[in-house]
Amino acid sequence: MFFMKIITVEHLKYKYPLSDKLALDDISFEIEQGEFIGIIGQNGAGKSTLCQALVGLVPNFYKGSYGGTVLVNGINVSKTEVSEVASHVGLVFQNPFNQITGSKLTVYEEVAFGLENLGLPVEEMKRRIDNVLNLLGLYEFRDKNPFDLSGGQMQRLAIAGIIAMQPEVIVLDEPTSQLDPQGSEEVFRVVQRLSEQGMTIVMAEHKMEKIAAYSDRVMLLHDGKLIDFDIPKKVFSREDIEEYGVITPVYTRICKNLDIKDENGFYPITIDEAHERLEKIL
Amino acid sequence: MSEIEVRNLHFSYTKGQEVLAGITLDLNLRPTAIIGQNGAGKTTFVKLLKGLLKPTEGDIFVKGYNTKEKSVAFLARYMGLVFQNPNDQIFKSKLIDEVMFGPLNIGQDEKTAKRNSLEALDLVGLRNRINENPYDLSLSDRKLVSIASILAMDTDIVVFDEPTIAQDYRGKEKIKDIIRYLKDKGKLVITIIHDMDFVAETFERVIVFNRGKVLLDGDTRFVYSYRDKLRTASLEQPYVMQLAQKLHIGTPLLTVDEFTDWFNKR
Amino acid sequence: MRTLSLYQEGDSIIHKIDPITKIIFVLITILIPIIMGTLNSAFAFLIISLTLVIIAGVIKKVLPIVGFTSIILVTVIIIQGLYYFNNRTPFFAIGTVVFYKEGLLYALEIILRIYSIINSVSLLMFTTKPSDLVEALVKKGLSPRIGYVFSSVLQIIPQMMSTVDTIIDAQRSRGMEVEGSFSRRIRAFIPLIGPAVISSLIDTKERAMALEVRAFNSRYKKTFLNEGTTFKYADVMQVSLISILIISIVLRFVH
Ligand SMILES: Nc1ncnc2c1ncn2[C@@H]1O[C@H](COP(=O)(O)OP(=O)(O)OP(=O)(O)O)[C@@H](O)[C@H]1O
Ligand SMILES: Nc1ncnc2c1ncn2[C@@H]1O[C@H](COP(=O)(O)OP(=O)(O)OP(=O)(O)O)[C@@H](O)[C@H]1O
Ligand SMILES: [Mg+2]
Ligand SMILES: [Mg+2]
Repeated sequence: MFFMKIITVEHLKYKYPLSDKLALDDISFEIEQGEFIGIIGQNGAGKSTLCQALVGLVPNFYKGSYGGTVLVNGINVSKTEVSEVASHVGLVFQNPFNQITGSKLTVYEEVAFGLENLGLPVEEMKRRIDNVLNLLGLYEFRDKNPFDLSGGQMQRLAIAGIIAMQPEVIVLDEPTSQLDPQGSEEVFRVVQRLSEQGMTIVMAEHKMEKIAAYSDRVMLLHDGKLIDFDIPKKVFSREDIEEYGVITPVYTRICKNLDIKDENGFYPITIDEAHERLEKIL
Repeated sequence: MSEIEVRNLHFSYTKGQEVLAGITLDLNLRPTAIIGQNGAGKTTFVKLLKGLLKPTEGDIFVKGYNTKEKSVAFLARYMGLVFQNPNDQIFKSKLIDEVMFGPLNIGQDEKTAKRNSLEALDLVGLRNRINENPYDLSLSDRKLVSIASILAMDTDIVVFDEPTIAQDYRGKEKIKDIIRYLKDKGKLVITIIHDMDFVAETFERVIVFNRGKVLLDGDTRFVYSYRDKLRTASLEQPYVMQLAQKLHIGTPLLTVDEFTDWFNKR
Repeated sequence: MRTLSLYQEGDSIIHKIDPITKIIFVLITILIPIIMGTLNSAFAFLIISLTLVIIAGVIKKVLPIVGFTSIILVTVIIIQGLYYFNNRTPFFAIGTVVFYKEGLLYALEIILRIYSIINSVSLLMFTTKPSDLVEALVKKGLSPRIGYVFSSVLQIIPQMMSTVDTIIDAQRSRGMEVEGSFSRRIRAFIPLIGPAVISSLIDTKERAMALEVRAFNSRYKKTFLNEGTTFKYADVMQVSLISILIISIVLRFVH
């Protein structure tokens, strides 16, 4: 199979206006089409800023000082209007409460908002909306006013609105913070399925067990710098990882306490790996 | 008398659609987590405890006072609620004023209010930033401010609505410590939360809400042993417990430390 | 949740007529009586729009508006009855104050026109979903941005009011007494205006970003989920309404 580079970031530097420190400090990386990338790092590490740089809100919306290039699907996002980028790259924001457009009266119409802007035919729209509402467990609320949803229901709606647009790349900033355990598992599964179908996924998350189980590669950010970008096993086996304010998955911590490593010297990071190792001992 | 008594509580936002459908329970001094699927009615329930919403049927007694008969401001002397969204709560332009607002309102004198506020800011780790504008802080720090401003009120009951949202691992540890500290001071802590491992490490009692009703209620270990029932409420067992079960370990192990100890003693 | 919309759910034939036809109807009820300038035309249109309001089943909603307007219209009767420049024929007198026939007739015409306008505008507002109305206009060439402003104002203002409610709730939760006398509530409310404004400014900025990533300003030709109220006879009705307008103009000039 031939893999295409879909995101190329070179020497990206960024400083918010009125701030005297770099929020992103000389970041370079490449992502291939269909990859599922996790972004981890402590509060203030720069995860949200990087997410917003991938769609061009940084710098086009915030202004501030910007250097380097972000190429997504061949588009130089800092030189392109966000609405243009939006048909190729979708972004789900960290705070679900402010993502409701406010011009639609029902959940169903709210999802349609982006699709109308893309000029899709009505039949196609309805097909996609029905599909995402079912996918995210919102179908029974389709006629409800979006502002009357619970926190978790609103977050599901925000995700649905972007997935329905079917961009080539989806960036999600802590998209499961308000979801119940099975709800967040479902979101990870849905997103993984999309990545198997060729969509590229970039997701900032604090839920390390999920990142370990689902992502192809993990990006560790600290103080605006890219510390590491590798397969989850390697990143979570770093001895210095806690110095970056990141905790490893529960399974990794157990195995670390018991000094259980695999033949390559890495700690298990998922329940299956931990199970496999521990079963042999028990 | 229990701190909080809930009797046959019903509530609906729109007629005919019950969000809470008959809840009866007592809340005592054990740190208690309320868990349940999105839309189960958890936020609605704590707003009712606080008196911000009134039952459509049934009664709630907080420290013996019926919430229907007392104003929210009156009840605030006994119960503090940290809102899910800190932006809803913050309204002063200086951090210290923000935190002192509640204590002064419920009749603490200036000196006590200041002392309690500084102590609360110390707990959340923001003591050195008392002159900053809360709006300039990041979302995670603003959440900590909103927690401090409730702690400073020194109420007997403290309720958190999803306190760990947006917090990294250190922030979560901080909140864990705060909950234990409140317990040691003899306060009732009630927390809505979706993080099962956090619950396993921090709370003694767990109440599972499901479609407006209580599905399970009891000791943390007891509640978490009902794997299938939890599934029907869109929940999961803590990760450690999942691993222990997969390994057919008979003891219900809740935390990394319990697992390690068990393994080493085996 | 509260909305600013006046729309009344219903399934009358009037609800099924498309927004554009209704807008043309409103224009006609305003223009024809002015063009014709006769009492009869004003009266005719009042009867027509009143009948339609009754058919639509929204008369209960319209009556209070009519009632409120009537208070203002009394002054029209008095002023025109007394001072209309064409006043010649005394009609009746209250003490030394004389009301004239010409002025009273003129006032009647104004009143009939205003009532018929109220009826037809109400017909539009009460039987058309705001979103349908805005979309119909956008399809006819109104800029989508302006369309968004219209429809979001209908949603976001109530949303801001609930933000204020939330902020008040948060402060009540911290022991601020807001229940009780009016002045106490006002005093409690004033310090909350600042935070309410700031919070909605933050919301607005974040919402603007959220719209961008939903391709709000994209170059694609926008489509619409709701085809609008597809009404079989829309074309026929619009053509007939416009013909009536043209005929009235012609008649006017022939005379
Ligand atoms: N609008 C802004 N103006 C100025 N500085 C900002 C702004 N937003 C973020 N920052 C700063 O940029 C840095 C990176 O913040 P960012 O929000 O990207 O972190 P994060 O990794 O997403 O953190 P969290 O886990 O809390 O969401 C921080 O130092 C933060 O204070
Ligand atoms: N203002 C409102 N008007 C109408 N319905 C509402 C309103 N607020 C909440 N609801 C509905 O009531 C139900 C319970 O909502 P609530 O916010 O209590 O849920 P929750 O358990 O806190 O969920 P989450 O975990 O997602 O925060 C949901 O189905 C929600 O859609
Ligand atoms: Mg962030
Ligand atoms: Mg909630």
